[in-house]
Amino acid sequence: MRRIAAAAAFFAALGLAACGGSGGKSSTTAQTSTAAASHQPVTITLWNGFTNRELGVVNQAVAAFHASHPWITVKSVGGINDDKIIAAIRGGNAPDVAQSFTADNTGAFCSSGGWIDLKPYMDASHINASMFPQAVQTYTQFQGKRCALPMLADTYGLYYNKDLFKKAGITAPPKTMSELTADAKKLTVRDGNSFKVVGFDPAQGFYENAPAHYGPLFGANWVDGQDKSAIAKNPGWAEFMQWQKGLIDFYGFDKLRRWQAGAGDEFSASNAFERGKLAMAIDGEYRTAFIKAEHPDLNYGTAPMPVADSHPELYGAGYVTGNIIGIPKSSAHKDAAWELVKYLTTDQHALALLSNGLRNVPTTSASLKSSELTPDPRFKVFLDIFANPKTATTPITAAGSANQELFQDYVAKWQAGKVTDLQNGLAQVDKQIDAQLANSAGTQVP
Amino acid sequence: MSTAPLAQGGPAPRLQVRDRRAAKRKAAWRRRWLVLGLMSPWIVGCTVFFIYPLLASVYLSFTHYDLLSRPRWVGTANYAFMLHHDPQIWNAVKNTLWLMAIAVPLQVLFAFGVAGMVVRAKSGVGFFRTVFYLPTLAPPVAATLGFTYILNPATGPVNTVLGWLGIDGPLWFESPSWSKPSLVLLGLWGIGNTMIIFLAALLDVPRHLYESAQLDGAGPLQRLRWVTLPTVSPVILFAVVIGVIEALQYFTQAYVASSIVGGGAGNAADPANRLGYPEGSTMFYPLLLYQQGFRFFNMGYASAMAIVLLVVAFAVTLLIIRNSRRWVHYQGGMR
Amino acid sequence: MGAAVEIAQAPAPAQPLVRRRPPRAVRRKRLLVAVADHSLLIAAAIAFLAPFVFMVLTALMTSDQALSSKIWPHPFHWSNVSEVFDRAPLWRYTLNTMLYAGLSTIGVLVSSIPVAYALSRLRWRGRDAVFLVVLATMMLPAQVTAVPLYVMWSKLHLVGSLAPLILPNWFGDAFSIFLLRQFFLTIPEEYSDAARVDGCGELRILLTVVMRLAKPAIAAVALFAFLFAWNDFFGPLLYTSENQAHWTLSLGLAQFRTQYQVEWNLTMMATILFMAPVIGLFFAAQKAFVEGVTLTGVKG
Repeated sequence: MRRIAAAAAFFAALGLAACGGSGGKSSTTAQTSTAAASHQPVTITLWNGFTNRELGVVNQAVAAFHASHPWITVKSVGGINDDKIIAAIRGGNAPDVAQSFTADNTGAFCSSGGWIDLKPYMDASHINASMFPQAVQTYTQFQGKRCALPMLADTYGLYYNKDLFKKAGITAPPKTMSELTADAKKLTVRDGNSFKVVGFDPAQGFYENAPAHYGPLFGANWVDGQDKSAIAKNPGWAEFMQWQKGLIDFYGFDKLRRWQAGAGDEFSASNAFERGKLAMAIDGEYRTAFIKAEHPDLNYGTAPMPVADSHPELYGAGYVTGNIIGIPKSSAHKDAAWELVKYLTTDQHALALLSNGLRNVPTTSASLKSSELTPDPRFKVFLDIFANPKTATTPITAAGSANQELFQDYVAKWQAGKVTDLQNGLAQVDKQIDAQLANSAGTQVP
Repeated sequence: MSTAPLAQGGPAPRLQVRDRRAAKRKAAWRRRWLVLGLMSPWIVGCTVFFIYPLLASVYLSFTHYDLLSRPRWVGTANYAFMLHHDPQIWNAVKNTLWLMAIAVPLQVLFAFGVAGMVVRAKSGVGFFRTVFYLPTLAPPVAATLGFTYILNPATGPVNTVLGWLGIDGPLWFESPSWSKPSLVLLGLWGIGNTMIIFLAALLDVPRHLYESAQLDGAGPLQRLRWVTLPTVSPVILFAVVIGVIEALQYFTQAYVASSIVGGGAGNAADPANRLGYPEGSTMFYPLLLYQQGFRFFNMGYASAMAIVLLVVAFAVTLLIIRNSRRWVHYQGGMR
Repeated sequence: MGAAVEIAQAPAPAQPLVRRRPPRAVRRKRLLVAVADHSLLIAAAIAFLAPFVFMVLTALMTSDQALSSKIWPHPFHWSNVSEVFDRAPLWRYTLNTMLYAGLSTIGVLVSSIPVAYALSRLRWRGRDAVFLVVLATMMLPAQVTAVPLYVMWSKLHLVGSLAPLILPNWFGDAFSIFLLRQFFLTIPEEYSDAARVDGCGELRILLTVVMRLAKPAIAAVALFAFLFAWNDFFGPLLYTSENQAHWTLSLGLAQFRTQYQVEWNLTMMATILFMAPVIGLFFAAQKAFVEGVTLTGVKG
């Protein structure tokens, strides 16, 4: 079934190629008014990042859109990442609608003019941004320009294997990082040079382990008031790094790496948590749907992520980010594209359908309470994290996620035990980030 | 020149001389047009795909350009960023130098050694030649994919076999100290082309040279030093130059290995985020150029990197060829 | 060198008659040397073949097996062959690769042969200087010109198609020109002169005399051009990655795992299928391969 969906998407992509060449020539301005009114048949392209089973769900929503807007045919192409979207915008071959997993790139899409400003369309359709919760509003605009809308959000929490918990005599999920460490040690089962079970793998770069996902748990911020990188100034980051290094040393970094190499792909049925080889993991709400489809018998629970020992008040909060969707400026059918964007981001039915299928958090305040949402206590945990006022996201910069990547590089060195002066290194990272941001903005580096 | 039939005997009146000259001129023009016609594909190609982009690169390297707005002149800011601020560039330069200093000589030596072994074989030369050449045919992407699996420290067959022998295999592509050696291994697997060239050169070494060396009482090592090496030295030079040029543009294997290995254990983020995995140990100069130019669309900066690459590539090649005069021997006045 | 040792055994002054049967010690030594030679060779051959064997074995495993440390498939999972085609549009990739490689090869031949001819068999002022420029372009790393060329193709709205990969090959390829020129130079001038006496123009000479005699070089150039395109990754990555309908095998395979989360066993199957045509081509045209490769190294 999944395969059929992938194949269908591919043939859709072929169709796109066949007609993409001529599409670019039609004049945009003339068409905007007439097409909308006359409902002339039009075909638009949607690029999205989903694959396999998830792409099937998106295509269901697209089919529902076509049913209610019969004059608009949508070619849905999955498996697209941001590099491709950006390259296509620069090359002038962008689709009519693009969806991205990486809200970090909102800044790049907005400031470059790659995605058009949606304000006029929203006004015309009487849609107000206030229908989305605050955090979600933040990551879909850049410097006051709204060039993206949120299409479902991801929040991160703790997944734990109940059977393994029972075996280790643990009754409740951990609430602080030191509890997490203690439980992880209890849950770990060594197997000669490797591990039968890893309690919790804190190595950054593995599965969903990224500093961004941990920041809110340590009360750590990325920037100061002047939009300068402030990683060294935030004690939370150092605390986070000390904690994760401590747990890594329990396993031995090289042993952990070796284990990771055979842990199985994150987004496949061989995922280590799904196969019971990893007892606890930080992951997004979507994992519930993967488990249901791939390992329905897995006995697991979900909870908010444990938080820093110094910040117990943060418990219940987490990291939130989301998919963003927008209209590349080269689109020849912007009105039709807007209809699709509007449908996928604000239509109650579409959001419920997508949320139920993908098990992503629906992004309008109203849809959070939709009766169409199928209840599931393990999923509900994530809706609560999403609603928590301390839940945070990453700042949007013009240089995309360059700041996170540079920091991640440093953390990679740190966890491998190659850093001697942690604080000094963090200050260096701040300098690097500021220099990189200045260079990509084309301003003189100080 | 095809004027021969005209130059027949008999007194040459003035008129005829003038005619002859005109015909000659006409022929010369026809010839010029012919050359121009034959050369035209290259003239167009060289202008459009070489001279223009080269000049444009120089210009763009002094600008900030993101392909969306027009290039904006920033003076030498890109070069200054490269020298003083880019946190990744020195690592990339170091890695590329490592390739040139370690991987290239190893490959040349290895190809020479394998060719030497094949030459010594008394039977099955064709068979062995085929076996050693075969891996060269594997497309780089396919070969790299294969190696990332074979060298997977947890599930790959190589570490399994090493385990049988009681050896605790390394982390290969997962470890910053083994990732480059893993790439070298991949390179050694594909030395077929160089090996074949060495083979041809070794078979060309005149036997009488060995015989007279033998008579002079030269041992095997001396024969290698005084007979074999001088005669194959042009091939060694060729292999080194090609190897260095390839090292300077080393891209595919490192891109595929780091994105596959990093992406396999990693998250759903873009595979390209994984360039250089682990810990930047496979981030080579061309990869960084690609990342800056075609992921960040920092095209001005990428152009500056390209210009530096160009200068270095020519300097290094010239240096090798110049130094080679001392140790490369061309037979029978070739060249 | 082994051969040299053999021949040099000859001067055994005492018994010229038993030259065919050297003393026992020598014979034994010779045998040992041969075995040593061959055992090293055989070991090396095994090492060279092992990766292929491992890839094939993995390609026939189940996904779980590929993730274990087992080496031998149990049972053999032949359905992987068909499954891999379901997981990714391999046929489409193959077609694109063929298109890229085929059209490039034709382009290289059509455009490079005349240039090489002019550079080798016609005398004109500036010829050597032009040849030096050709050599220089050969040394040029592809990354140097990538940025402006990308800008140029994107202005022409051709990024996302195969055109930026194919078209440059129709305007002379430096390496092919170099190779052909070197070979053309070895064709004795007498052949051309004879044809000239018969009243042939230069084009006729090129088409009939030179091209006929240069068949091995032309075959080699065609092979290299085809293989270059078949293996190329940087080009397709730059120009077609945003449009999956135009992906080549190289690009498709590199994204195989990350994009579709394809398991190792199927990845290896695809890898094997990607290698197979080239290896088949090699066995079909082994002579052209070896001659061609040798040709590249004759004159450094």
